[in-house]
Amino acid sequence: MNRRTVSALVGNDLRQLARNPRVLVFAVALPLVIWPLMWFLTSLTTQRRQERLESRTYTYAVAEDPRDAEHAANARAWLERALAVVGEDGQADEADTPEAPAVRFERVDAPDDFKAALDEEQLHVHVAWEAGAGDGSNENVDVDSETLGNAGDPAQRIVLSYRADLDASDAAEGYLRRALERSRVEVREKRLAAAGFEAPPEDLLPLERIETASEEQTSGLLLGRILTAIIVMMMLAGGSIVATDALAGEKERGTLETLLTTAASRIEIVTAKNLSILTVAFATSVLNIANIVLWMQLDVIPAPPGLKLVIPVGAAMLLLFLYAPAAVLLSSSLLLVSGRSKTYKEAQLLFAPVMLVFLAVAAIPVLPGIALRSAIVVVPIANLGVAAREILTGQYDWPLIAAAWAVAAAAAAVLARASVRALSAEKLITASDLDAADLTGGPALFPRRVGRWFAALWALLLVWQLNVGGGIDGRLLIAINMAIFGAAAWLIIARYRLPVRETLSLRAPPPAAWLGVLIGVPAGLLLADGVVRLASLAMPIPQQWIEAMAEAFGADIPVWQTLFFFAILPGIFEEIAFRGVLLCGLRRRFRPVQLVLVAGIAFGFFHVDLFRIPGTSLLGVLLVIAVLRSGSIYPAMAWHALHNAVALGSARIEHIRLPEQPTWWHYVLATLAILAAFRLMAGPFQSRELR
Amino acid sequence: MSTVQVEVQGLSKNFFDQSRGEVNAVQQVDFECRRGEILGLLGANGAGKTTTLRMISTVLQPTAGTARVLGHDVASEPVEVRRNLGFYSASTALYPRLTARETLTLFARVNKYPAERTKSRVEETIERFGVGEYAGVRIEKLSSGMKQKVSIARTVVHDPPVLIFDEPTVGLDVLNALDLQKAIQELREDGKAILFSTHIMSEAERLCDRIAIIDKGRIRACDDLEGLRAATSRHYLEDIFVHYVTSNADS
Repeated sequence: MNRRTVSALVGNDLRQLARNPRVLVFAVALPLVIWPLMWFLTSLTTQRRQERLESRTYTYAVAEDPRDAEHAANARAWLERALAVVGEDGQADEADTPEAPAVRFERVDAPDDFKAALDEEQLHVHVAWEAGAGDGSNENVDVDSETLGNAGDPAQRIVLSYRADLDASDAAEGYLRRALERSRVEVREKRLAAAGFEAPPEDLLPLERIETASEEQTSGLLLGRILTAIIVMMMLAGGSIVATDALAGEKERGTLETLLTTAASRIEIVTAKNLSILTVAFATSVLNIANIVLWMQLDVIPAPPGLKLVIPVGAAMLLLFLYAPAAVLLSSSLLLVSGRSKTYKEAQLLFAPVMLVFLAVAAIPVLPGIALRSAIVVVPIANLGVAAREILTGQYDWPLIAAAWAVAAAAAAVLARASVRALSAEKLITASDLDAADLTGGPALFPRRVGRWFAALWALLLVWQLNVGGGIDGRLLIAINMAIFGAAAWLIIARYRLPVRETLSLRAPPPAAWLGVLIGVPAGLLLADGVVRLASLAMPIPQQWIEAMAEAFGADIPVWQTLFFFAILPGIFEEIAFRGVLLCGLRRRFRPVQLVLVAGIAFGFFHVDLFRIPGTSLLGVLLVIAVLRSGSIYPAMAWHALHNAVALGSARIEHIRLPEQPTWWHYVLATLAILAAFRLMAGPFQSRELR
Repeated sequence: MSTVQVEVQGLSKNFFDQSRGEVNAVQQVDFECRRGEILGLLGANGAGKTTTLRMISTVLQPTAGTARVLGHDVASEPVEVRRNLGFYSASTALYPRLTARETLTLFARVNKYPAERTKSRVEETIERFGVGEYAGVRIEKLSSGMKQKVSIARTVVHDPPVLIFDEPTVGLDVLNALDLQKAIQELREDGKAILFSTHIMSEAERLCDRIAIIDKGRIRACDDLEGLRAATSRHYLEDIFVHYVTSNADS
């Protein structure tokens, strides 16, 4: 890559932007003014409203029923007592209730139609005493007496009528209700004292709370929850200013062909465009953050309570490093959208859903209970957000932070590569870059689309597992999962008119392949155990996870059901989906080693539980080789079912336990046994790649 | 006049179109262009001229065949090919917010012209194409004639040995078109190998040393004007063109 070329292209993009006053004003300058202004106006409006509400005089009326004078008297007595707390017909008593607002209440005569009076705001609250079944009309209504009406009778109550949609009425009801509640507490305390409980209720069982989290940790949690969403939002808003113009704008202006016929390579152009997007995104983010902090310092904007905008230098450096792949991922996505849009307008339209998706993922750290040590580590952006939240609260789970970074970096690399490919696509220049497969569709198109199908399937499974998966019976869960795999496989086969026999490798394997399966299963289990042990060095498996697994795979479930649901069903349906449809689709796109790794590890990732991924990835790799060697899916089905059966059986039956502490020669023997098993599997339909 | 700069052999391009299915835009095209020569690609609209030139400029991938620019293959060495190429067409626009000088500097740098000589080369190009008066003015404020001059200057600022002009006079008035033709003739005198596509007979007749008549994606004839006259017994290029196109239609 030529740095001079890249810097010339970046300089050109930035110069174009800097000389576009309209974009600068609307996309950069206006947000700098509008956001703080909106914030300021909101806080000002709230403050003014509060002042207005506190300074006005509210009117209330007590229902006067001549047939029920006692109840009206009760209501008045309670209200008078309550309003004495806030200051009857005047200012609140500041000495007694320092937090009480300075509100004035004025009693007016009860109107004939109180609803109409509320509608016309002649009245703010209407108060009535509602008698219960056990009418205490004969009781004493002296507020200073022990009884205070018959208020202890739950069948009697004070009814406040008001208009929630009218500001004054709503506020008056709030003040009055709180005042009545305070009176109630006072009366209760008096009654308790009269009954012999002289100590105030709060002294009965004094509680003291000690917060052991430091101020930094509490503030870090608050900041960590929102930091990723804020950064993603600012990066997207800033980056889209350049991204829209980067390819869609160039296409529309006709400068793209000029650029593509220069000596700049596609990678240089994409790198330059990404750098331009990142530069502007970074600059606008810094400007916006500095702007908000400045207004907060000037006390024009109130800072959220408990938020402390101080991040330790080490954590800040780590966060910067952590967010680097996220920045590339975002800019590549924006560039890709721009490249795939025919016009500037289309790019702007497409940015909205892309932004929504990114913001939804970036908001995941807000959800409580999601830890980095979970399947979230394989979801780009969300994993970095959760990692950032943990870092800001002082938790440094290094292996998982590294894993999250690696996943995000891999996703960024894939998207960057896709944007390079988009730049090489002929439809950038010509009206069409369709090929024969696009026209004929069917099997020809299938290899190109299989990745999308399985990505969607993975997302579906992830959402399903995260939201529902843990809460239902293991048998039902596996049955639904298998139904999803089966339905997806059938849908893909039908959609692309695939020949079932060839797609699923439904052929008789060489007889020796069955012997290979019998040798391969225990050896594979031992190797999978080794992989899990190796992975647990970086990600120690928690005891509660092991217990949850034991429960899910059913110590209490009958053996035949365990075998049916957890061995036979996956052996059929997962093989049809992964070693059948997925493997068939990927075959033409990868070289043998890549194919085995990609198809095998993809299978592992579908076991969305983090701790199951390493072991199941190895099983996936072995099963892919089994299909490619034998040319048939049947040995893989048998292997898979037996693998699960033996693995689950080892938890129940003493005789089939794996060695507790395998030594290196166990693994060497297992590897040799696997090689022997694959050798036995070679048959006439063996894949050409593996010959 | 003898060094072959552009060599095209069996070049083909198939497109797939929703309504028409497979379209053979260019089929088995062979030609070569030498140093100091203008080779004209003469054909009607949709004959395959632009597709051929876009394959040579590496913007499109050939379906079959090869094209080489100074020995560099368009498929395996696209960057080297483009480094030795200047591509001008009606669809290659300029950045409107750059000045003429900034435009030339940008394209010299992007085309990897030596850094130490970029400034002097840009000034030299500005002077040669007479854009000095408005070198500091933004492209968006220039007239179409001025833009066209800057465009040609942009095409040659990195001093490429091969130049491609794809229907360069489309949309230009007569005087601007004549200016452009004059500039192309001067570039030939500088020893550039020039591929020039047009559907205007007079232009081809006046400018081109050799003319390749292209129709329905195939080269029907490729020779100098005298050779074409001798082969068809017709004097005017228009008649010669019609002869090849209609005889192909008849066949």
